[in-house]
Amino acid sequence: MHISIRGEFRKDTFGQAGLILLMATTALALLGPIAVPYNPNHQTHWAFKSPSTFHILGTNHVGQDNWSRLVHGARTSLLVGFSVACIATLISTLVGSSCALKGGLYERIMMRFVDGLLIIPAIVVLILVSAYTKPRLYLLIVLISLFSWAGGARIVRAQALSLKDRAHIWAARSFGGSNWYVMRRHIVPDLGPILVVEFIHSFRRAIFMEAGLAFLGICDPARVSWGIMMRNAIEYSYMNVWVWWLVPAGLALSITILSLAFIGHTLEPFMEPRLREHVDA
Amino acid sequence: MRSIIGRNLPTYFAALLIILSLNFILPRMMPGDPLMAIYGEEALVAMTPELKAFLLRSFALDKPIWEQFFAYLYQMGRGNLGFSYYHSAPTLEVILGRVPWTILLIGSALILSTTFGILLGIESGWRRGKPLDRSLLSGFMALTGFPDFFLGMVFLLVFGVSLGFFPLSGSLTPYSGLSGLPLLFDMVRHLILPVSALTLGHMAGTYLLTRSAMVTVLREPYILSARAKGLPERVICYRHAGRNSLLPVVTRTGIWLGRIITGTLFIEVIFAYPGLGTLTYEALLARDYAVLQGVLLVVAIVVLLANFSLDLLYARIDPRIQHAH
Repeated sequence: MHISIRGEFRKDTFGQAGLILLMATTALALLGPIAVPYNPNHQTHWAFKSPSTFHILGTNHVGQDNWSRLVHGARTSLLVGFSVACIATLISTLVGSSCALKGGLYERIMMRFVDGLLIIPAIVVLILVSAYTKPRLYLLIVLISLFSWAGGARIVRAQALSLKDRAHIWAARSFGGSNWYVMRRHIVPDLGPILVVEFIHSFRRAIFMEAGLAFLGICDPARVSWGIMMRNAIEYSYMNVWVWWLVPAGLALSITILSLAFIGHTLEPFMEPRLREHVDA
Repeated sequence: MRSIIGRNLPTYFAALLIILSLNFILPRMMPGDPLMAIYGEEALVAMTPELKAFLLRSFALDKPIWEQFFAYLYQMGRGNLGFSYYHSAPTLEVILGRVPWTILLIGSALILSTTFGILLGIESGWRRGKPLDRSLLSGFMALTGFPDFFLGMVFLLVFGVSLGFFPLSGSLTPYSGLSGLPLLFDMVRHLILPVSALTLGHMAGTYLLTRSAMVTVLREPYILSARAKGLPERVICYRHAGRNSLLPVVTRTGIWLGRIITGTLFIEVIFAYPGLGTLTYEALLARDYAVLQGVLLVVAIVVLLANFSLDLLYARIDPRIQHAH
């Protein structure tokens, strides 16, 4: 694949915007907690304060500083998104390439299972599973990962199927290379760009799911999340506090998802080089 | 036509099996007495001994695990999804009571977002690179980032709370005593905000897909020959290019249905719309596990049926499939 990541980004303004926004959010998440003035969980009797020099975004219903919570929320979102993207991409790679290499009954059963998983709306399943298990952050990450690898496995398999008949893989096989060896040394390195795109997509979906589940009240009570901020804020919709409470949390979430969508869209030609001529608007 | 259906049936079967096994295994993995694990402590306190004995017997909960599984499948097949302690009614009855509202919501949003997404996609692809195309593309690209529940909240706060144009919650004005046309009007007024949020949230996907299909189709030789025949622009745009750009949208709608259901779930919670989403949310708060399991099963069956009908539709609109064999 003779497509360079830099080249794609240089041509695409959406992609550049996405990268900048994502870097800004990440910087906020990494550095922010040092810079924010308050502990996000510290409750005071200064509830529902309007923005002031002490509280840039005012305070919430139990007197917590909205700005501090926003910054700490970025940490939760990015942590969940990043971890889920890692686990989901790993499972997709293993399942997808093993299906392509092994073939036969194993492949047919696994692919039916993958298609089945793809049809089922993941959030509904996650709600049920979380109702039983009442997950903490790490279990939540594992659960979201378990329901977001299927699409990637399909794409990896399709690509691996076309890779496995190339000459260098036959050469490796003729020297006695096993399935595992071929997968590790030849298939996975060649899958690189596709895995990057899958990673970005799972990252985006995971952030959306975490916020959505937190909005429904499924979250680690010890963590601050944008979903919880929105859930709390919407209960006081009759007061005019939502402008600096709900809207910043929703915008932060949207901007993060948007930046990942833009990056994913820019990298899309890796999945389908034929698209290259079409995307330029 | 038979081929596409035959190819997809095992998938639907697999999906159903995943849901059924999940519903079966999950509570049985929890520690403690099976009845308590399935229904939760709150439910058990509220149940009469007769009901407990009935559930124990019908789901074979005192038998080995395999017998339990077959008893479970048998009861599901009969439509016995268990008993909701919170609503004190059979789960299936509770769920079916809410389904029409959700279908109304999803149906309107699906029709609107598909129609407008396709129309705008066709127009945009036809005018590729022109100002209209550029602004539509940027607008929809930006829209892909906004989760539909955030759109819903903003709509609720701006048009409902601040401006007061629309009612804030529910599907009908309670105790209004309306009937006939005013009742319909009231229903539509309650529907506008949630449906707009859902439609906007899901139009971008259809638009982007139609646009890119349109751009590809416009290069096909048959477009050139249509032009050579001197056909009017509109006919080429809609009958030759547009119709063929529909195919990817139909294939994707099945996959998107799951996303729209997810979106509807959040939107219903925000607008307290009395459909499956609000039911799920109430069940989550009340730890009414039977309802959560039932909703999952019903949603899965609806999605599978919808996908199956899309397969049929696909075979009808793609001429190549009818003559494929």
